[in-house]
Amino acid sequence: MKSGYVRVLFVMALLVALAVRAHAATLKYGAELTRKEVTKVSDIADHPDRYVGRRVLVEGTVVEVCAKRGCWMDIASDRKYEKIQIKVVDGEIIFPLSARGQKALVEGVVEEMAMTYEQAISYHRHKAEERGELFDPSVVTGAQTLYRIRGLGAVITD
Amino acid sequence: MPLNWRKWNAVIHRDLGYLCTGLTLIYAISGVAVNHIHSWNPNYTFERESTRIPPLPSKEDLTDQDIIQILARLGETRVHRSFFQKSRDEVDIFFAEGSATSINLRTGAVRQERPRPRPVLYPMNFLHLNHPKKIWTWMADAYAVSLAVLALTGLFVLKGRKGITGRGAWLTGAGIAIPLLFLFLYL
Repeated sequence: MKSGYVRVLFVMALLVALAVRAHAATLKYGAELTRKEVTKVSDIADHPDRYVGRRVLVEGTVVEVCAKRGCWMDIASDRKYEKIQIKVVDGEIIFPLSARGQKALVEGVVEEMAMTYEQAISYHRHKAEERGELFDPSVVTGAQTLYRIRGLGAVITD
Repeated sequence: MPLNWRKWNAVIHRDLGYLCTGLTLIYAISGVAVNHIHSWNPNYTFERESTRIPPLPSKEDLTDQDIIQILARLGETRVHRSFFQKSRDEVDIFFAEGSATSINLRTGAVRQERPRPRPVLYPMNFLHLNHPKKIWTWMADAYAVSLAVLALTGLFVLKGRKGITGRGAWLTGAGIAIPLLFLFLYL
């Protein structure tokens, strides 16, 4: 009887180890990528109306990750100084902080975020707090419209 | 010989309870940790350091070679993974494990950030929040079913005054009423 329990515990430990190992080897998040053609982030920034509501595949270097929940990450655009946010549903996909600096292929739907001045202040204050930085309200000068991607699946590689 | 269901109920409750102890502790501790995610980071601690170097000339397009030279000025010996130029003056340089150094070339302000996974909580949250996915999803499902079985078998371990027909009924009722009360208040 005792050896039976030991076997059960051993198998459980093995399954846990396999699951953790599988995670370490794969850096895939959420749904499988289905799009083949990569859309340039700069193209989304230049022509957001063409893309809002559409499913796209984008690629770029991960330049910031939500440190608390891993519920968003920013990826660099193909154009200098530009980036786009990938937002995922809390808990459905969790991006690791260790992804910063790695390459990401992300599939998702382009969203428009229209914010009043007050909402923009609140949004940027929250982002600064997440980064552990002091918030400078002067960076927000009025109402803002942000375009981001609601992430459905991602592959992150070195 | 008639089947003594109460005996089997107690055996299942006892042995499943032993089996679930480890995971219950992990889920309980991690649960409290992530419950307060608004006020702290349950996964990482950060080593943040602000320093200053002599200002550097701003550049339209920094290259890998520029980054290597900037890192040499900082006395940074690690090899960078990649970098992101935020503007003519600002650049973020990334290293393995998510460490990052932000530099303002014009002012020479440097901000270094090294995330350190919390030694016990990070792996607990990793399992609790089902980061592994794959086989772990099935393990977590099995654990959830086990908890339901534990709850149901627990109702019938004792009989009599302290069992489900006596004190147990009141306590079980209270346990069901508490979430209902909060649903009534907040939903």
